[in-house]
Amino acid sequence: MTTLIVIDQAPYGTWVGREALDMAFSLAAFDQPAALLFIGAGVAWLRRAQNAAGIGQKTLEKNLSAAPLFGIEQLFAEQTACERFLPDPDSRVKGITMAGSVNHLLEQYDHVVFAG
Amino acid sequence: MSTSLSYTLVITGAPWSSQAAQTSLAFARAVITAGHRLDRVFLYGDGVHLASALSAPPSDEPHWPQQWSEFLSEHQIPGIACIASALRRGLVDEREQARYELSAHNLRAPFQIAGLGEWVDSTLTSDRVLYFHGSA
Repeated sequence: MTTLIVIDQAPYGTWVGREALDMAFSLAAFDQPAALLFIGAGVAWLRRAQNAAGIGQKTLEKNLSAAPLFGIEQLFAEQTACERFLPDPDSRVKGITMAGSVNHLLEQYDHVVFAG
Repeated sequence: MSTSLSYTLVITGAPWSSQAAQTSLAFARAVITAGHRLDRVFLYGDGVHLASALSAPPSDEPHWPQQWSEFLSEHQIPGIACIASALRRGLVDEREQARYELSAHNLRAPFQIAGLGEWVDSTLTSDRVLYFHGSA
């Protein structure tokens, strides 16, 4: 049973997204299938060449790039949110599957976890 | 045919900052009253503040940590605070106090500190895992 973790908040403002990512990594560490979905402002996680040093935080792009290595099955992004927040496809990290219908995607998972 | 279900509740909203503690407690009571089972309550993110032994609201206000701990003790339900979330937010038991050489510990009984593996176990073993967040 694959668990879908949904991140709907932009990075850096709160720790909610980081802690949701920890949940996904934890599932993978216990050999449980997990996937990530970024919706709304959460797609800002997918911006390439992030540099959070100016606000004294670690850049989350590195954490996210480790997801496939840790066994996260797939990274999805809400297509309309990407078009709004990251209109230039070249500004997005690679390896993301666009979800035209979030509702349709959610229906495919028995266990969906929204980041707090 | 039995229709009894097992539940895990994941609380991520902090008491007083959100209604998560209150809503989840009402739900937990309803679960028990209806004859279902509560496998575990898992506190994550800001939800770990519910396990603080140092909350001291005015006497005419609800005391969510106290109400939750009494409920857990009465029904012998494990209450787990995620260790990473707890350490970030200044919630420690005696063991973590010693490990990090801190001046005090403040975990309210019967809550325990443990890792996300407890939550993973719930996703595998409970019939339903419900989340109580701090925001809509």
